Amino acid sequence: MVRVIKHKPMNWLERLYIFEAFRGLYTTFKHFLRGFFRYETLPTVPYPEIKPEIPRNYRAKHRLMLRPDGTPRCVACFMCATACPADCIFIEAGESEDGRIEKRAERFDIDHSVCIFCGLCVEACPVDALRMDTCETSYVHRSREDFIVSMYDLTNWDPKQYPQNDTQSQMAPGGSKNKQALEAWGMKVI
Amino acid sequence: MMEILSSKTWIEWLLIIAKFAFAFIPVLFILLLIPMERRGAGFIQDRQGPNRSYFWLPYFGKIRLFGWVQNVCDGLKLFVKEIYAPSGVNKVLFALAPAIPFMIVLLSPCVIPYFATLNFTFGDSFVSVPGAMVDSDVGILLLFGLSSLSAFGAVLAGWASKSKFSFLGALRTTAMSISYEVCLGLSLMGILLLAGTFNIEGIINWQEAHVWGFVAQPVAFFCFLIAMIAETGRAPFDVAEGDPELVAGFHTEYGAMQFGMFYMGEYGHIAINSILVSCLFFGGYSIPFMTTGDVQANLGYVLAALCGIGAFLALGFLHMLYRYTRWYKTSAASNKETIFREYALYKICGWIAVPVLITLAVLSVLFIHPEYTLINGMKVFGLGTALGTAFVQFLVLMVKTVFFCWVWIWVRWTLPRFRYDHVMHLGWKVILNIALLNLVVTAIIAKLVLGGN
Repeated sequence: MVRVIKHKPMNWLERLYIFEAFRGLYTTFKHFLRGFFRYETLPTVPYPEIKPEIPRNYRAKHRLMLRPDGTPRCVACFMCATACPADCIFIEAGESEDGRIEKRAERFDIDHSVCIFCGLCVEACPVDALRMDTCETSYVHRSREDFIVSMYDLTNWDPKQYPQNDTQSQMAPGGSKNKQALEAWGMKVI
Repeated sequence: MMEILSSKTWIEWLLIIAKFAFAFIPVLFILLLIPMERRGAGFIQDRQGPNRSYFWLPYFGKIRLFGWVQNVCDGLKLFVKEIYAPSGVNKVLFALAPAIPFMIVLLSPCVIPYFATLNFTFGDSFVSVPGAMVDSDVGILLLFGLSSLSAFGAVLAGWASKSKFSFLGALRTTAMSISYEVCLGLSLMGILLLAGTFNIEGIINWQEAHVWGFVAQPVAFFCFLIAMIAETGRAPFDVAEGDPELVAGFHTEYGAMQFGMFYMGEYGHIAINSILVSCLFFGGYSIPFMTTGDVQANLGYVLAALCGIGAFLALGFLHMLYRYTRWYKTSAASNKETIFREYALYKICGWIAVPVLITLAVLSVLFIHPEYTLINGMKVFGLGTALGTAFVQFLVLMVKTVFFCWVWIWVRWTLPRFRYDHVMHLGWKVILNIALLNLVVTAIIAKLVLGGN
C-alpha cells in the first residue's frame, strides 16, 4: 500500500520565513534550557562512568548455557557454525562421557572480531545452548587473538545476574532452581 | 614634546595608556565564545558537549570547570602542532594571510567606547578622558573600514594556497563581504541620521537621552543583525567555508596555529560585532532608565545592586550544583567520589562569593556617597566615582555583548544554511531594499517630527 502524504502549501506568512525562523529559535532555546537547567535529563550519559541500560533481548556477547551438573548444553551438532554467515564459530566435537548424550564440544571458540552479531547461531541451536543475552557490549582487547573467546569464558557466567523467570539460566550450578533440576537430571537412565 | 606632555595631567596620560588594554577585549572574548559555542551547541542538540578534559589540583582532584578546560587543551594542541605548508604555495603570502584577520581583531575595536567619557576633578583641575581608545569623529566608519579589511586575509589565503577549494572559498568570501558590507552600512544610516554623528559615544549618548536604537529603528536592527551574521561568515551564511561543497573554504590548506589564527579571527570578529550591535542598538554601556550622571550620583546603590545580582547568581549556581549533586548520588555512576571532590571546590567558591558580595553591597550603600563640584553647571565627581562608574558601565556592556554572542551561536545552531544564490538574493534584493526604505522613511520622519535640517 502506498500512502501519499500531501504537503500543505505554506501560507504567505510562512513563506516570509522570518517568523518560522523565530519559531525555530524558540525550539532550540527550549532544548538549550533543558540542557542548562536540567542537565541530568539529557538522553546522553557520561559513558564509562554511567553505563546505559541494555535490554535482555539485545544481541550482546555470547554465552553457553549449562546443564544442572555444569557441563555445557552444547551437543556439537554444528548447526550454529553452519548458520553463521561470518564463519566465526569453531567447534571441535568429542565423545560425551554421559551415556545419554552422544557428543559434546571439546572446543567451542567464537571470534568476536569477526562476529557480526546477527543472532543466527542462537536461532539455529536446537538445544538452547547458545544465547546472546549477557548485555556485555564492550569488546576491548590489545591483540586480535584476545577477541577469540574459548569455552571457558563462554560458560563463565553467574546465574544470579539473570532474572528469576529465566528458568534455563537458573538451572545451572549456582542458580535458584539448580537443586531440583539436578535431582531431575541425575536420574538413572537404563 | 614637553608641551604635549604637560598639556595633560599625569593621571590623564595614565588613563589614556591604560585604555590600550581594551584592545584585548575581543581576543579575551574568544576564550568565552569557544566553550560557549561548543557546550551551547551540545545543549541545543540534546548532547552534553565537551566536558571531560581537566587539570589536576591537590585534594580536589580533576577540575573540569564545566568544559572550559577543553578550550585550553584545544589551544595547546594547535600551538604545538607542526606548521606545515603544501608544496607549490606562495610562501610569503601563505604565511602572511592568517595574521591579517587576527590583526584586524586587535585594531578595529579602537573606536568602541567601553564606558562613558570620564569627567572628574583631579586636584584643582578638571580632567576629561573619552571612553574609546581613538575618540575620532569618523568613529564607526573607521571600524567598518578596518573590519572589512579582514576579507583580505581570506583572499590572500585563497590565492596563496594554490588550491581550487581555497580559491573558490576566497571568491565567495569576497562576494559576501562586499554585498553585506553595503547592507551593513545602509541599515546603520537610520540611527546615524537620528543621532547626527558617526562617533559611537555620541550615538550611545543619543540613545541614553532618547530611546535605545532597537526601539527607534527596529527594522534597521534586524537588517543590521542579519548583515552582521552574514559578514562574520558563520552559519547560516557559511557559504565561504561550506563544508559540503568546499572542503573548508579558504583555510583548507592551513593547519596548526595558522588555522588557529583564522579561527580566532572569526571568533574575535563575532565579539567585535556583538559589542557593536549592543553599542548601536542596545544602548552600549548605558543602564536602562539611567543616565551616566544618575549612575555617578547614586554610585553606592548601583554598586550594591550589582553585588546583589552577583550574589543572586552565585546562589543560583550553588542551587544548581546541589541539585545535580543530589541526583548524582542516586545514579549508578562509578566516579561519584571524583565528581563530589570537584564540586566541593565550586561549592567553596560559591559559598565564599555569596557573603563577600552581600558584605560589599552593604558596605557600598553605607560608605559610598560621592560628592560633586559644579563646573559650568555640570556635576563633576572625583576620580574614584568616575572609575567606579566606568567599571559598572563596562560590566553592563559586557553583559549585553555576551547576550549577542549567544545570539550568534543560537542562530548558527538553529537555521539551516543558505545556498550561495540564496545568500546573494537575500543580500541584494531583500535586505538592501528594506534598509534603503527604512532610511528614506527615517529621513522623512526625522525631518517632519524632529525638524532637523
